Amino acid sequence: MAVDAVSLEVFRNLLASVAEEMGVSLGRTAYSVNMKERRDYSCALFDPQGVMVAQAAHIPVHLGAMTASVRAALDHLSLEQGDVAILNDPFLGGTHLPDVSLVAPIYTEVGGKSVLAGYVANRGHHADIGGMSPGSLPLSTELYQEGVIIPPLKLVEGGQTNDALLDIICRNTRTPEERRGDFAAQMAAIRTGERRLLSLAERYGLSTVHEHMAALLDYTESLTRAALRKVPEGRYTFSDAMDDDGLGHGPLLITCTADVAEGHVVFDFTGTAPQTIGCINAPLAVTESAALYVVRCLAGENVPTNDGVRRAVTVVAPTGSMVNAEAPSAVSGGNVETSQRITDVLLGCMAQAMPEHVPAASQGTMNNVLLGGRNAATGRPFAYYETIGGGMGGGPNGPGASAVQSHMTNTLNTPIEAMEFEFPLRVRRYAVRQGSGGKGRSPGGDGIIREMEFLSPAHLTVISERRTSKPYGLQGGEPGSNGENLLLKGGSERQELPAKASVDVDEGDVLRITTPGGGAWGKSPE
Amino acid sequence: MSSNIPDSGILGIDTGGTFTDFVLLQDGALTVHKLPSTPSDPSQSAAAGIAEMPVMAESTVAHGSTVATNALLERKGARTALVTTAGFEDVLQIGRQARHDLYALEYQAPEPLVPAELRLGVKERVGATGTVLQALTAEEISLLLERLARLNVDAVAISLLFSFLYPAHERALADAIRNRFPALFVSTSSDVLPEYREYERTSTVVVNAYVGPLMSTYLSRMRDLTAHPLRIMQSSGGSITVDMASRQPVRTILSGPAGGVVGARYVAEAAGYSHIITFDMGGTSTDVSLCPGQIQTTTGYAIGVSPIGVPVIDIHTVGAGGGSIAKVDVGGALRVGPESAGADPGPACYGVGSDATVTDANLVLGRMAPAHFLGGRMALDAGRAAEAVGKLASAMHTPVERAALGVIQVANAVMERALRTVSLERGHDPRDFTLVAFGGAGPQHACELAAALDIPRVLVPLHPGLLSALGVAMADVVKDYSRTVMVRDAGGMTALETAFAELEAQGRQEMATEGFPPDALQVQRSLDVRYRGQSFELPVEWPGGDSPYDAMAAGFHQAHLQRFGYMDERNAVEAVNARLRITAPTSRPTLEHSEPTSGDVPSDGEAQVWFEAGPQATHIYDRDALRAGHRFVGPALVYQMDATTVVPPGWQAEVDPYRNLILTPESA
Repeated sequence: MAVDAVSLEVFRNLLASVAEEMGVSLGRTAYSVNMKERRDYSCALFDPQGVMVAQAAHIPVHLGAMTASVRAALDHLSLEQGDVAILNDPFLGGTHLPDVSLVAPIYTEVGGKSVLAGYVANRGHHADIGGMSPGSLPLSTELYQEGVIIPPLKLVEGGQTNDALLDIICRNTRTPEERRGDFAAQMAAIRTGERRLLSLAERYGLSTVHEHMAALLDYTESLTRAALRKVPEGRYTFSDAMDDDGLGHGPLLITCTADVAEGHVVFDFTGTAPQTIGCINAPLAVTESAALYVVRCLAGENVPTNDGVRRAVTVVAPTGSMVNAEAPSAVSGGNVETSQRITDVLLGCMAQAMPEHVPAASQGTMNNVLLGGRNAATGRPFAYYETIGGGMGGGPNGPGASAVQSHMTNTLNTPIEAMEFEFPLRVRRYAVRQGSGGKGRSPGGDGIIREMEFLSPAHLTVISERRTSKPYGLQGGEPGSNGENLLLKGGSERQELPAKASVDVDEGDVLRITTPGGGAWGKSPE
Repeated sequence: MSSNIPDSGILGIDTGGTFTDFVLLQDGALTVHKLPSTPSDPSQSAAAGIAEMPVMAESTVAHGSTVATNALLERKGARTALVTTAGFEDVLQIGRQARHDLYALEYQAPEPLVPAELRLGVKERVGATGTVLQALTAEEISLLLERLARLNVDAVAISLLFSFLYPAHERALADAIRNRFPALFVSTSSDVLPEYREYERTSTVVVNAYVGPLMSTYLSRMRDLTAHPLRIMQSSGGSITVDMASRQPVRTILSGPAGGVVGARYVAEAAGYSHIITFDMGGTSTDVSLCPGQIQTTTGYAIGVSPIGVPVIDIHTVGAGGGSIAKVDVGGALRVGPESAGADPGPACYGVGSDATVTDANLVLGRMAPAHFLGGRMALDAGRAAEAVGKLASAMHTPVERAALGVIQVANAVMERALRTVSLERGHDPRDFTLVAFGGAGPQHACELAAALDIPRVLVPLHPGLLSALGVAMADVVKDYSRTVMVRDAGGMTALETAFAELEAQGRQEMATEGFPPDALQVQRSLDVRYRGQSFELPVEWPGGDSPYDAMAAGFHQAHLQRFGYMDERNAVEAVNARLRITAPTSRPTLEHSEPTSGDVPSDGEAQVWFEAGPQATHIYDRDALRAGHRFVGPALVYQMDATTVVPPGWQAEVDPYRNLILTPESA
């Protein structure tokens, strides 16, 4: 079957459905609230060279990172039939430790010989992976404090699971049973991907499948380049900053120059602050994810999600800077917070190029809330992780959306009633933060106010941004309001929490998180 | 079957966007009728049809209504207020916090059905164990009434946190509002969906209130227009009384497609096929549903972006239909849908539009039998279709027929993905199923799809365009009840028994009120079960017996193995929701059937039809002339008033005693 306009579209559907089906399998079999209810995972399919040919649309921050995981597994292991690799090392294919990836080669018989058909991989965010504080997004100063580090290793070898490895990993976490359940779900998704890829090879022949993988990468590249050709050629620079690293250092500059020419863009981060002692350093894969996300947005919804986008994008990030941190720097917040600011900077560059197309800044944070302890009512340990939405930036076509996850994440919230059934928590308020969006022709969207009371003593970690700086407005629009973190001791005594906080809380204490509004686009009419 | 529904007959009515279909089952005979719809007031065409058909006075009229669906999709529902626990007024707007469009540079959030100024908080709170943490006071109620008095709304939805554990606060508010404002449509979440997850529950009760006033008005008009006993199709595949449909119209949101599934299942079962996948391909979209012996329902449905948690037949919809527009994108791939030419302007061959659609491709390939389209009442413009597809062909540098074949292939790829989603993704092997093809375009595409998924057999019913009306007529009277119970060990089973007993008492009482005698009722108890800490439940039948917890756990492990390929018996199992379905079966007239004839198949000539291998001489058959026992082989084309069936080369057809077309691969 030769590649033509029809078969290209047929295979776009087929390959996308392999990744999607893996995602369905993972989401439905996962144990933790974080994976199952919030869908904090991604699944993807790769060609025999380890190039991503399809990814299920779940979490943008996993966009560039999935390819990095497969590359690391291939570089460090000799993967054979029946093997499944596991890794989370941020400096060897990971992003931050809670995101654990599985990678498996898929072999099929062709003419009596075993031939590599491709790879399947998935990545799930585990609610706890050990380290100095529950939820494993600590205010750390080096990677070793953030949890169990898994370099690329074979979790399954020749069909045999390495139980010792799994035991060591799970023993190093606060909720080992939940981890086992989530790993089982990730394995189930690998098996689903394997079955589907093999059935495609059987139905169409492996060479036809591979030809279409290649054609889809070319197709995606050409759509991406077509989109980039609409951007006026030139160099565009924009800078913004992280509030702080949680240890008193900040603001920390992130700067980028986008060089757009001939359907290609180079994002050069030279001038960005060096990596810092606190936990907000981003490994290169995170920075690449942000770059791919921004280009993906410019290219439009119809572009397949695969590494064809990457061919039109070059990322230059100085080694040892905050956007290409080196081991063993602390990175727990880089994936969730710095990724958002990198996106703000990249979109800021594009707004210089296309002021009539690019919206103002969204909330620029994920407002991570992590909680761990022992449930006084049941005696069982618990680990709770949530990110909270906020305002999106207003744009040339209308106001920004309110109370929604933006840019690099799209996880669901935990229903209040599910949360109160499962955790020693009581939500007191969950509301749109009226008036927090920037004012302008297209106002920014509003943030959220989420207030919860602790029913058991617990350790609380908050990792957030835009608590001092504000999401920028564009073309004369005002910035959005910054966020606030407040602890009400005993329910009433106000205690301001910094953007990054790690504190013990008592029964009866109340946490109020107020998330940023989006920036506005355009001047208000007089 | 015993029932108090008289055997005098049933008239099933399905009001679609273009046509209103009628199927009358009376005295063992089946009569069909079709009238143009009257979208501004669907009751007009319905009433006209009732008048034009020989319906006996005591016959029941069963109605599939799109009034609620359209009000919701077109945002033309009532001005609705939402009452929530104070501090949670925005749950409806925030939803699950996720955006529906991951890579939109400027994401447009959907407007909530109730705007902020109509969302009212009341001070009260119930905890996760059902205890009252803050009581609802009389002052708070009167404060709410004062606020409502100023808002000029037509409907009120009430959804308080944990109301499924403690409904008294919602009831007190509803009573007070009804007393003060008797004209308002008032609906509580503990009444409509007493289940946990506040956003989904709130969304469901809001949808109910939003479409409530329109639906009540419509149904009372229907009652004025006809003296026949009236029943309304609900999305779960059963029918309900007009009273129930007026109170809980959210249960009717998917009544048309549900009718199609019920009709398909009935026809297939009579013909001897219990495991079916329904394939309903219409003008803008395709609905597929898997029935492994029985119709499956889901409580995870969303219409547009509004979740509705009441039971809905598990129907998967994709945006590919006869009117789906084909185009070549800038990357050089041929895309089909989701944009559709719909009924207006319609496919190019209808004479108005100029975009190439799936229907145009079928016409170019000779797969339409244009002389017989809608019984010859509507001419198709073949030249216009060829011109539209020709534009695609030049962009693809390929002959026009190849381009047309490509359009069919791409549309099939989209539909194949849908069939795969409902079968393989859920642990069912398509090889165990019969594909029942209906809707205007289903029988054109069914064999090629069946081949792609190794489905061994395609059934095309005698009236593929009227299956929904048939299903509406055939549907049993069904009431579904549920309650979140959260039972985590064997000790909680007594509480479960109590919950079931209460639900059953409520169901029996409501059935009795509607005139159904107790001995005619069938009661089904089931549980939504999951591994502890998971949040995705699977339905398990209530096992009863001496150790129901163990039996429930065993049933759940098996269900989990089937659906996800593994089970973990070490893991604790918890029952989340108790569900009770109470059914008053209708007496179903048997479908006409006849002994096989041995005569020759009367061919209605031959035409050139395009298939993958090129143009082929193809026999044409008139469906009306086919009788039980007739057999023929592909390539063949069978035309009838509301559909054309394509039998590709390598397939054979046989007419069964019910005059269904049974299509199988020749090698089989």
